[in-house]
Amino acid sequence: MSSILDQIYEKAKLNPQKVAFPEATNEKMMQAAYETGKDGYIIPILVGNAEEIKALATERGYDLSVFTIVDINEEEYKNKIIADYVALPDTRLKEKALGRRMQDPLYYAMAMQAVGEADVTFAGIDNTTGDVLLAGQMIIGLKPGISTISSIGLADIPGYEGSEGSLLAVGDSAVCTNPDPEQLASIAISACDTVRELLGWEPRCAMVSYSTLGSGQGPLIDKVTEALKIANELRPDLAIDGEFQLDAAIVPAVAEKKVKRESKVAGKANVLIWPDLNVGNTAVKLIQQFGHANAYGPMLQGFNSIVCDCSRGAPVSEIKGNVVISAVRAAGSKQ
Amino acid sequence: MDRKELEAKVIELVAMSYNKAEGEVTLETSFKDDLKGASVQMVALVAEIENELDAMVALQDASACATVKDLVDKVEEEL
Repeated sequence: MSSILDQIYEKAKLNPQKVAFPEATNEKMMQAAYETGKDGYIIPILVGNAEEIKALATERGYDLSVFTIVDINEEEYKNKIIADYVALPDTRLKEKALGRRMQDPLYYAMAMQAVGEADVTFAGIDNTTGDVLLAGQMIIGLKPGISTISSIGLADIPGYEGSEGSLLAVGDSAVCTNPDPEQLASIAISACDTVRELLGWEPRCAMVSYSTLGSGQGPLIDKVTEALKIANELRPDLAIDGEFQLDAAIVPAVAEKKVKRESKVAGKANVLIWPDLNVGNTAVKLIQQFGHANAYGPMLQGFNSIVCDCSRGAPVSEIKGNVVISAVRAAGSKQ
Repeated sequence: MDRKELEAKVIELVAMSYNKAEGEVTLETSFKDDLKGASVQMVALVAEIENELDAMVALQDASACATVKDLVDKVEEEL
């Protein structure tokens, strides 16, 4: 069977999305944009100083027809984006402040995305994660009802036979450090939306704790149950349940023993939500070190549309994978 | 804009971003203890300061402010 990433690549090709690259002059970024664009997985939009981008692309031997190049110094198009942006409801920046921010290609790309000229903004090789998150919150904004940006990762664990085969989505292992109950609810809700967009799964999301349905007591568990309550109230359409220990969440036999009530999730969860980043980060390392898992992500979630932050040391192959993943999420979010 | 006007404006923007009545926010109001906001509110505040006062305060500088007065100082530096 082909790997999950191969399947995602195939999915991307069926409905290529417009991905804006505000760090287009970066050599690795341009290569990733070019190769994914040339092979038809995405429509790459390079945002920056057009002359510089063209010169570099030519020097690197790329066929310029693969790219759409947007010159941030060209006034007419910029003014159109600004006018469309300030006409949107609930946007933060006004004309003048936005115009100034858009001197930075990162903000320019996101403004394009906000007005529908791009589907994804892909950055993070020159900008820090903090830069990307700030620009995203300022320009793209958070989804209604969502109180924090967070992330999930997708683990492909050899030998694991869960409800989605060897795959398991887990979060947040990277972004939201110490979520309060409302934020933890946001993480769970966003995670369900993310796996549905990317993988077409029917999410079954477990809020993980050291206790199963009141088997333990204390403030650490109270936070999780409070989050569960908020998540269920906000999104009754989603199967989010807990609090479950990890085994009760993913092992049917354990769930049968410990969960003495109806649950769409217990024993067959395909999404695990950690109570905080201490757990989340450690858990991912455990899955990788002892489970020899391939982990994909972190995928940012909670924004009104898809923003992707790649790691600054990422090799081109990893950047390409993340570009294609974010494009498939964007296509999925439109359905 | 003199210092008094600036203080009044920043208080107004803080109150708006954190969904408080203006009377609830003073120069001594602590972001951490009194407003208990998440980074989302701080982002909104930084954006409002850009819109209304034409000053770009970096998010990390704004987040480092203990009180509203500290933020007024930061904005004043940027004006």
